Amino acid sequence: MTDTITHRALAPLAAIGAFGSHLALVVGGMGVMFGRILARLVLLRFDRSELLRNMHKMGVKSLPIVVVTALFTGGIMVIQATPVVERVGAQALLGWGAGFGTLREIGPLLTALMISGRVGANNTAELGTMVVTEQIDALRALAIDPINFLIAPRFIGIVVTLFLSTIYADALALFGAAYAGLGLLGVEPLVFLHGLTGGLLGLGDVFHGLIKSVVFGVIIALSSCQFGISTTGGAPGVGRAVNATVVVSAVGIFVSDYLVSFAIG
Amino acid sequence: MTDTAPMSSAVGHIDEEAVVPERRGLALIGGLALDLLISGKELYSIFVKTLYYTARGTRERGAVVRQMFEIGNRSLVFLCVVMGFIGMILVYQAGLQMLRVVPELSLLGATFLELIIRDLSASICALMLATRVGAGIAAEIGSMVVTEQVDALRMCAADPIDYLIKPRFIASIIMTLILVVIATFVAFLTGMWTGYIFFDINPLTFANLSLVDVGDVSIGITKCFVYGAAIPVVSGHCGLSTFGGSEGVGWATTRAVVNSSLAVIMLNFFISGAGYLIFGS
Repeated sequence: MTDTITHRALAPLAAIGAFGSHLALVVGGMGVMFGRILARLVLLRFDRSELLRNMHKMGVKSLPIVVVTALFTGGIMVIQATPVVERVGAQALLGWGAGFGTLREIGPLLTALMISGRVGANNTAELGTMVVTEQIDALRALAIDPINFLIAPRFIGIVVTLFLSTIYADALALFGAAYAGLGLLGVEPLVFLHGLTGGLLGLGDVFHGLIKSVVFGVIIALSSCQFGISTTGGAPGVGRAVNATVVVSAVGIFVSDYLVSFAIG
Repeated sequence: MTDTAPMSSAVGHIDEEAVVPERRGLALIGGLALDLLISGKELYSIFVKTLYYTARGTRERGAVVRQMFEIGNRSLVFLCVVMGFIGMILVYQAGLQMLRVVPELSLLGATFLELIIRDLSASICALMLATRVGAGIAAEIGSMVVTEQVDALRMCAADPIDYLIKPRFIASIIMTLILVVIATFVAFLTGMWTGYIFFDINPLTFANLSLVDVGDVSIGITKCFVYGAAIPVVSGHCGLSTFGGSEGVGWATTRAVVNSSLAVIMLNFFISGAGYLIFGS
């Protein structure tokens, strides 16, 4: 009797403990995998043709959603920046208001979330299916290292894809912002461009966003590979792994966004 | 490979890969447009059926509450963590930028509150729900489709939309609103803390609601409702059109995340634009 009561009283503690050890397992697994991937990258021991195939599949095929996301994001940024800009000055500052938000935060952030949804989740589904159908074991049986052949190319593919997509998305979002400004507020694109290049923003703001995109890429790649490779339990297991990947990637993206913003000011 | 999607029998599904060669140029654009049109029609039909069943369908006891727990309680910690960080990042970045133009930050809190209430809170929460809840719905319904449980439902004359999508639809609309309100509060607290630590803004100065008007609140609430309705419909559609074993469940989940995130971003643009035209800045 007293046993069950103490059991109940300690249940929240047990839940916290279980959560903590689960977190340690995930983060530790990602860390170990990162180390192994880095070792392969330094020695250049990864499959080149697999890398090219992955970069095409991840990068080129993601272009449409990056384009759509970026154009709409630019429009949203203009609508949201308008009241702020009108309060501190003239509409000439619209380019600055929409620009700093897009370049430093929203551009890299939304691109990362979309790439995490499309590429990261896809990657987990693919690796998870391979694990469930014992293809990874087959690779090991053939003395092919799964990290050389599967993980390292995907890691590079995701990081490069996200970096390039962010450059693309920044440019397209500013383009979308300029024309949303014209359509909704009647601000000429040239005025927008002047606000953008008038000295309040610099290359530093662009690099600020690009550094973030590399960090986000590493996080998406590690979490999607880790959850994919540790899938268990058939078709529902693949679904669960994909779900866990997108959640962990999203939390990782926001937490690292804060840390990186703070670190590079 | 049998396609068990409810709508595709009406479209006349054939194994395209085998018959049609790879589309290029104009054919590619036309094909994409047709695909978009067909998905649009299917989404519309699911949405209308969901609304119909919400009014008239069978009421399974506890189904909505179970989904509310699944969608709401299980996402609470995730959303609070994300929005907490969003609050800190926004105040930090906006403070640094505003210092370049105006030397004092007394309006930072008011502007921040206006921005999160009108847009960012609802939209970022919805993006997060699209990833977590959308992936969950698609994975669940997708594995039911693959294991032929959905066909079994149809055999029992129960429409999967009534049984599977409707409870999630109702639960999602209610819980999105509640989650967004809680998450906004969390973002406000972390933002206030950041303003105090980094820019020495008095928390009382920061908690300034003078810029938030009826327009901002109504745009924010409209967004909550629309996103809450869109996410289960879009991801339920992806789940129901799953085919091809465990791999298919993976693809369906991915598609659900991407499509519902895109839906949120597009709806955001249109609602924000309409709100700007109706209420002004």
